[in-house]
Amino acid sequence: MTIPPPPFREPPGSVLVRMLSRLVPRDSREEWVAEWRGELVAAAKQAVLRDEPATLTTVRLWRRCLGATTDALWLRHHHGEPIVLGTDLRQAARSLRHRPGYVAVVVLTLALGIGATTAVFSVVNGVLLRPLPLPHVERLVALEGQPTDGDLEKVNQWTSYPDYADLRDRTHSFEQLAARRRWQVTLTARDAEPARLNVTYTTANFVTATGLLPLLGRNFRVADAEPGAPAVALLSEQLWRGRFLGDRGVVGQQIQLDGVPTEIIGVLPGALQTIENGDLIQPIAAGPMESARGAHRLTVLGRLRDGVTIVQAESELRLVASQLEKQYPENNAKRSAKLLPMQAQLVGSAETSILVLFGAIVLLLLIACTNLAALFLTRAASREREMAVREALGASRAQLARQWGAESFLLTAAGGVFGVVVAWLGMRALLGAAPASLPRASEIGLDLPVLLFLGAVSVAVGLLFGVLPAVQRRRDGAFAALRSGGRSNTEGRRKRGMRSTLVVAEVALATVLAIGSALLVKNLYRMQHAPLSIRPDAVYTTQIQLPNTRYAQAGPDGGRRTLDFYRRLREEVAAIPGIHSVALAYQHPLAEGWTTSYHIAGGEHVAAGLEPEARVRPVSPGYFDAVGLRLLEGRDVTDRDRIDMPGVMVVNQAFARRHFPGRSAVGQAIEHGSPWWPGQPTHFEIVGVVADEPFLGIGRPADPATYFPHSQYPFNEMWLVVTSERSSASLYPDIRSRIWRIDPLLPVDPVVSLRGLMGDAVAEPTFNAVLLSLFAATALLLAAIGIYGVLSYTVSQRTAEIGLRMALGADRDLVRRQIVGQGLMLVGGGAVAGLAGAWALARVLESLLLGVSGRDPLSFLGVAVVLLAVAVLAAWLPAHRASRIEPVVALRAE
Amino acid sequence: MPPRLTPATTLVLFALSRGIRHGFDILDATGLESGTVYPILRRLEEAGCVRSRWEDQRRAQSEGRPPRRNYELTGAGAEALRAAVRIHPDTVAQFAPNHLLVPRTR
Repeated sequence: MTIPPPPFREPPGSVLVRMLSRLVPRDSREEWVAEWRGELVAAAKQAVLRDEPATLTTVRLWRRCLGATTDALWLRHHHGEPIVLGTDLRQAARSLRHRPGYVAVVVLTLALGIGATTAVFSVVNGVLLRPLPLPHVERLVALEGQPTDGDLEKVNQWTSYPDYADLRDRTHSFEQLAARRRWQVTLTARDAEPARLNVTYTTANFVTATGLLPLLGRNFRVADAEPGAPAVALLSEQLWRGRFLGDRGVVGQQIQLDGVPTEIIGVLPGALQTIENGDLIQPIAAGPMESARGAHRLTVLGRLRDGVTIVQAESELRLVASQLEKQYPENNAKRSAKLLPMQAQLVGSAETSILVLFGAIVLLLLIACTNLAALFLTRAASREREMAVREALGASRAQLARQWGAESFLLTAAGGVFGVVVAWLGMRALLGAAPASLPRASEIGLDLPVLLFLGAVSVAVGLLFGVLPAVQRRRDGAFAALRSGGRSNTEGRRKRGMRSTLVVAEVALATVLAIGSALLVKNLYRMQHAPLSIRPDAVYTTQIQLPNTRYAQAGPDGGRRTLDFYRRLREEVAAIPGIHSVALAYQHPLAEGWTTSYHIAGGEHVAAGLEPEARVRPVSPGYFDAVGLRLLEGRDVTDRDRIDMPGVMVVNQAFARRHFPGRSAVGQAIEHGSPWWPGQPTHFEIVGVVADEPFLGIGRPADPATYFPHSQYPFNEMWLVVTSERSSASLYPDIRSRIWRIDPLLPVDPVVSLRGLMGDAVAEPTFNAVLLSLFAATALLLAAIGIYGVLSYTVSQRTAEIGLRMALGADRDLVRRQIVGQGLMLVGGGAVAGLAGAWALARVLESLLLGVSGRDPLSFLGVAVVLLAVAVLAAWLPAHRASRIEPVVALRAE
Repeated sequence: MPPRLTPATTLVLFALSRGIRHGFDILDATGLESGTVYPILRRLEEAGCVRSRWEDQRRAQSEGRPPRRNYELTGAGAEALRAAVRIHPDTVAQFAPNHLLVPRTR
């Protein structure tokens, strides 16, 4: 007697095979299913014998079954049956041609959904997500100084050379710990205009720490950094290709940097630009600043040893930092250190705005998909009766589904094509408008995988919701639909409920975006209309930097040549026709510059390392007038305030408020420890008070600042400030020729207008606001489309009912009001949810806002009003249509 | 019409020449995707390089599963394999008959 075989369960994937069998020509269909099923059962049984985990088997078999699609399509094609049914496509195209509005809306939704999202994601990916192109970049960290008491004014992020050396020698977590400092040098050559280059002074191991090798030539050796060693430099790839035309013979050549003959020893690979955006690097030469523990001016980067985590390294670092704090309390009081992954440090401040954008694109994509679903469902519902008739006439459900599929395919394909166009244009527009502060902007390109992914998502959503209605129709659906004559019944109400929910969700998402954009726009408005303490029109500036090699700052003659140069410069430039006034300043009104510490003369004693800090801004007489900064008290600096005269200075209001609240600052004085230049006074009396310059950003309150006469504070680097009615382009050659009359070896930077600089200062907030507003507008448009879709569906479903009511005497206005009311209900629900969501998310945005609350009531109210308007607009057309229903016509259609 | 001798076709022919008879076993042995292998089998069968037969019903039943389809190389198929290996001598190295390590049910 034979034992009956144990029953086998249906293996994973066989459902798919059965579905796909519809594609296989009828005469070989049965055999095809049997073959695939035979393989699937056998494979499933073998997997059990092998003790393979069930999930693994399921995934493997499903994947194989996906391949059955190709097999089925191949067979279909081979039997001379078209793979995509031409008739279906033709029919779909014909049916879509009669609904241009619907087609436009679907294609627009898809194009915006795919395009806008891809464009922004490409930027986010390029800046934030894509790893830096350096070997084992995950082990690269940035070290930043950190105050133990949170007072960032006293302990900055930079490190002094002695601290760096101690950290390097006493820690074991790092393979390399390197330091660098940025500066500028002048490259002079016989046959070309002098050029100002950005140089980075680094420790000898810097390039090794990044994990890169020079493209040409050699790396630094320890000997290169020793005192007295001949000067050497590594060029960036960009400088090499630009200025040196990619000449491979450049290695070994001599160039003049600030007048010092320097040998080019190699060229660095372009990948280094992502972390070090300079033109060339040179070894840090040991100078007096390199032995001063108080000179915090290096940035430190490290490469962790393999297997050491950032947390372990940081705790070791903290330990060493606390040893240093005890050992050198006068310089290292309350100074500790933290580590950041290199990438996080680079992206830094842009992170929040990029994350906000990222959130916005996710919302937009959700809205687009929701809308698509709602549109397809609405379309399906409006054609229920037509489908029922066709089914009753003998069309199979597969045929109906195929036709739906063909229609969805045409629409999503068109949407995809336009999506690529939108993505490309959006990308170009974004990069064109991007502020200069956007890091790594040069690496950004249109992200093909993302485009494909989003395209796939949209097509999947399209096909799913496109085919679903046809597949899901009940068996008796045809008869029910015919019997009900298209009137609303329970089924219809359920579907309508689903669509309404989708629209409510959409409105909620759009609300969140709209509020975000309203807040950013208000913020931008505040910035652009902030009361301005300066008068930026007709003011031009250019930076001038005298090389220390020719304009000595130290030594018995220190500062003398500098002062001579600037005195002659003011005379020369004042003689240019059309220039009204000439002044000098260290930094311009919108640049923050740097700070130094001081004592208030006669004030209480403050421990070393804890003195107050203020901005140092040497100026020439006439600077305040030139930029329109109001002198509130006392006098301006004058040419009589020479270096051998008693020290004087002007302070800003913030300074006066800090130290002399409620009384006059004029007549008070500060003390500096020791003179920086020979003969410089160390006691400076306050002779005037000026209004606060917006050097920390327009709309931001200023720090305390001190304005010394340049003649008593002879910096080599100054900004020439002129007022003129002429244009910056016409001023440039005149100013340049006057500068070259005094020193033909100086590079001359472009002349820029203060207006233009102000535009740059608001570039980033403008960019954020414009972008989020575009998103919000798109979202509102999509939501309006959604509302319109649901309402016009309702009207078409209720034609007979409305006709009946009007025949019984209902007023046209009443009908119109009812439909609009329904629209308002949808928006009301969504708006409440959206406002609550935005309220909860307020904190995220707040860091981008200056003086505008993340829960600004006016913005919330404004968005609510806009939403109401959108709802009324979107509802108006369907409502109008409903009110024009002729009772006789509607009832005759029954 | 002789089949196009792509690297994938070469691998499938080679697997068949090693006595591997079922579709999924060929997938295991060649590492190719099902969407690649099945159309190749169909094309080879049509070109007369491969012959297919259904497994004996009783044997399948005794193992508690439906019968599987067997594929085998014909004389023309062996010819095609020789030609294919000449064109793609390196592809055969990819062949990994790991399924042979799997205990087969008898």
